[in-house]
Amino acid sequence: MTTPPVLDIEDLQVRFRARHGVVSALRGPDLRLDAGGLLVVVGESGSGKTVLATALLGMLPSNAEVTGSVQVLGNQVVGASSRQLRALRRDHVALIPQGASTALNPVRTIGWQARRTVRTRRLDPQQGAARIDLELDASGLSPIDTRRAYPHELSGGMQQRVLLALSRAADPDLVIADEPTHGLDADLVDATARRLLEVQQTGAALLVITHDLRLAAALGGETAVLYGGDLLERQATLPLLDRPAHPYTRGLIGALPERGANPIVGSPPDLSALPPGCSFAPRCPLVRADCTTALPALEPIGETGMVRCPYHHEADQDMASHAAAPEQDRHAPR
Amino acid sequence: MWRMIGVRLLSLPAIMLAVALLTFALMWASPYDPAATYVAALTGQDGASQEVRDAYAAAWGLDASGPQQFWAWLTNVTRGDLGISREVPGVPVTRVLLDRLPATVLLLGASTVIVLVLSLVLGVLAARFRGSPIDTGVRMLSYVGTFAPSFWLALLAVYFFAIWGGWLPAGGTGDVRTETGIELRYLILPATTLAISQLGWFTLFVRDTLLDRMRDDHVRFAEAQGASRTGALIRSALPNALLPYVTLAGAHLPELIGGAILIESIFGWPGLGNLARRAAVSVDVPLLLAIVLGGAVLTVLGNLLADIGYRLLDPRTRRSPA
Amino acid sequence: MTAFGLLRTPDRRRPLTGAARRVARLPGAVQIATGIVVVLLLAALFAPWLRPMDTVTVDLGARLTPPSWSAPMGTDTVGRDLFTLVLHGLRVSLLVSAAAAVVAALLGGAIGGLAGAVGGKVDAIVMRIVDVFAAQNHFLFGLLLVVLTRPLFGSVVAVTLSVAVTHWVSTARIVRSEILSLRSRPFVLASINAGASRLHVARRHLLPHVVQALALTFVLLVPHAIFHESGYSFLGLGMPPTRASLGNLVADSQRSLLLGGWWATLFPGGVLFVFCAAVGTIGAWGRDRLDPRSRSELEL
Repeated sequence: MTTPPVLDIEDLQVRFRARHGVVSALRGPDLRLDAGGLLVVVGESGSGKTVLATALLGMLPSNAEVTGSVQVLGNQVVGASSRQLRALRRDHVALIPQGASTALNPVRTIGWQARRTVRTRRLDPQQGAARIDLELDASGLSPIDTRRAYPHELSGGMQQRVLLALSRAADPDLVIADEPTHGLDADLVDATARRLLEVQQTGAALLVITHDLRLAAALGGETAVLYGGDLLERQATLPLLDRPAHPYTRGLIGALPERGANPIVGSPPDLSALPPGCSFAPRCPLVRADCTTALPALEPIGETGMVRCPYHHEADQDMASHAAAPEQDRHAPR
Repeated sequence: MWRMIGVRLLSLPAIMLAVALLTFALMWASPYDPAATYVAALTGQDGASQEVRDAYAAAWGLDASGPQQFWAWLTNVTRGDLGISREVPGVPVTRVLLDRLPATVLLLGASTVIVLVLSLVLGVLAARFRGSPIDTGVRMLSYVGTFAPSFWLALLAVYFFAIWGGWLPAGGTGDVRTETGIELRYLILPATTLAISQLGWFTLFVRDTLLDRMRDDHVRFAEAQGASRTGALIRSALPNALLPYVTLAGAHLPELIGGAILIESIFGWPGLGNLARRAAVSVDVPLLLAIVLGGAVLTVLGNLLADIGYRLLDPRTRRSPA
Repeated sequence: MTAFGLLRTPDRRRPLTGAARRVARLPGAVQIATGIVVVLLLAALFAPWLRPMDTVTVDLGARLTPPSWSAPMGTDTVGRDLFTLVLHGLRVSLLVSAAAAVVAALLGGAIGGLAGAVGGKVDAIVMRIVDVFAAQNHFLFGLLLVVLTRPLFGSVVAVTLSVAVTHWVSTARIVRSEILSLRSRPFVLASINAGASRLHVARRHLLPHVVQALALTFVLLVPHAIFHESGYSFLGLGMPPTRASLGNLVADSQRSLLLGGWWATLFPGGVLFVFCAAVGTIGAWGRDRLDPRSRSELEL
């Protein structure tokens, strides 16, 4: 390969120095995303998925310690100067932030914010404005009315579409959508997925961060599963949802209402005191002695997939019985 | 919104009435005898003749009963007559107040401008360069401004700038031939020292609110699009931080009146604050009451203007969703 | 973690280490502020023994001498030792201000508590009264009150009352809204539904929170009380010269200042400033603990 991938993450470690000790948010996931690619990062809150998105943009707070490598189109983000980071965000990356209702400035009109986007991205004023109007129109919003409106005058779905339109104004190479279905009704999930896929079709790489497996299913592409800052599994989305390999992924899918709504026993890990081994070990139904001593290596599964569990073959029968017997609580922390 | 304005303006006379009632009740309960004190001061001896005292008491209406005195005062007030000043003998209170008003308006206006401009500039600088020496310096200065008594700072400023350095006048108003009767350089020290009493925590408020707003999603969104930190701060965070700032300004700028009493006294400023001190020292209750009521009007109006300003500035309250 | 950890009953077995451990956990600035407050309180408390007032004599030979070993804060225009005057002035200032803050907090707590707990018409009337006081300029209205009540009660009580009467409103508002919000909280509703008596609910659920809020407003009120007391004394309307507070001393210092004696102004006002800043630091910390919305540094 001669052109660098749009996104190349290697051994990304993020720790926060907090008042009471160090919080470990990411423990070295490796991820790669090529032009036109689609990667869904799935995880619960505290899995590190939002920290991942923030780290890609170089927008972590000052108390974060970052090691490893994040390259966007061959440009190193870790340790880059604020000038370099700004240029990178301005020219190549678009973030669709979580919570459309708060991502728009409440005291400015959409028109003002559209003009700001054009100015910030250094687009030609006329062309930029026309492009945003086109995008608004394509998503079923009247450009004139929308530009005149304040954010609170729009519905959640409309705000989401505005954000998407603004994000596409500069034809970014990488689009990061953070929880794009956060706070949206279930029937808007498919519509959101369609709009996101349009972005991908223009040749941009798309990184979607979500806890919503339905959105992942609607999007396709590849899915990476984060837990406690570790990458536990990465597979093409549809096989992953169909035949999850890692016990945690199985648990997530088993917790869906249509799969029996069996929640995973135990609670998410304490990020300031992660176990030395697999972060999921305290809740894992398949846990063995060696799981708690060292982090298992990623091993290949399927055509392109990876899973961080040496015992995933044995999972199938165990999972069913485990789901029916939630009192197997002995591995839960504390 | 008109309803709110109406209710607040209508409550103003009620509030003033309550204050006046309280004042008269306390006057009536107090053993203090204004006429006797006045006569004693006039003749230079304590045992003034009873007839002279009674004559003054009768002239001032002090021989009437408490309720009668209050009623007389109230009916006079409705005609725009606030009584006769004892501190400035024989001159109607209304006249005395109007004579002193321009100097105080000038002082308060100058201080207000200083507070508003400097707090925004310093607050934005501190927030932008958070954790840097600029931030530390601004916070230290704000601390001094907030917790140092204004009269103390004023005296230190007089010592440093007037007595030791000789750069600025220590007090007074200078050449009375200028339009307001006050030369500008005589205004610098009083206005600045008065402003400092409010400046500190206005600045801290701007800084802290801005830092809070900088964490808002839309500010992060602006930065994610490649906006500079300064740009995001000024264009995205500041307009949102200004909303609570307006409320704060309306509620707390009227507090400058209290400081003006001290500052005007120190600098011999010919305004209402100095007059209030003289009225207090000589127990000239009608005059002091009039100034207190004026202060209440300003306080209520300040709050009201802030609320109106907030509603006009915030699109969420300006226009209701269709 | 509940706010105001220092106010909780300390570890019974090892009271000292318990308290020490709590102090050690405080932020550095609060530790320093606490130290300053303790030192100044002790200085004020033991002033009569540290520097008896009767050692202060008018000594025209030692007029306006700058700070030295025998007179650490210098002397005034009639040769009196300023350090002694400041210690005793601090004593007067702190006594009056603490009394005023206590009265204001209790008055506000009682009125706000009544309004919040009884509600209905009582609440409506109390809120109208609150409106009247909230519309006043504190210093100016307080000045009127001092002038009117001084002949009745004397200076000390008049200043205390004036500060209390102009400052109870904020406390009343805080306590009232605290009670109103507590009354709709699940654990209180559960207790009421379980048949707990009004008194029980008030004692078990409302009182601890209200006491916390009152302690905080007391701390926040102290600097205000000091500003008012010293301001009135500065104007010659507060403490009498026989019981000179720091405000009187700053007022007196104007003569020294004109003659170049900056120390006569700097030290009395400086002590006021340092004390207010220290108390204010503690108060700000306490408010952040009670209302931590604007605190979090780390957001994941």
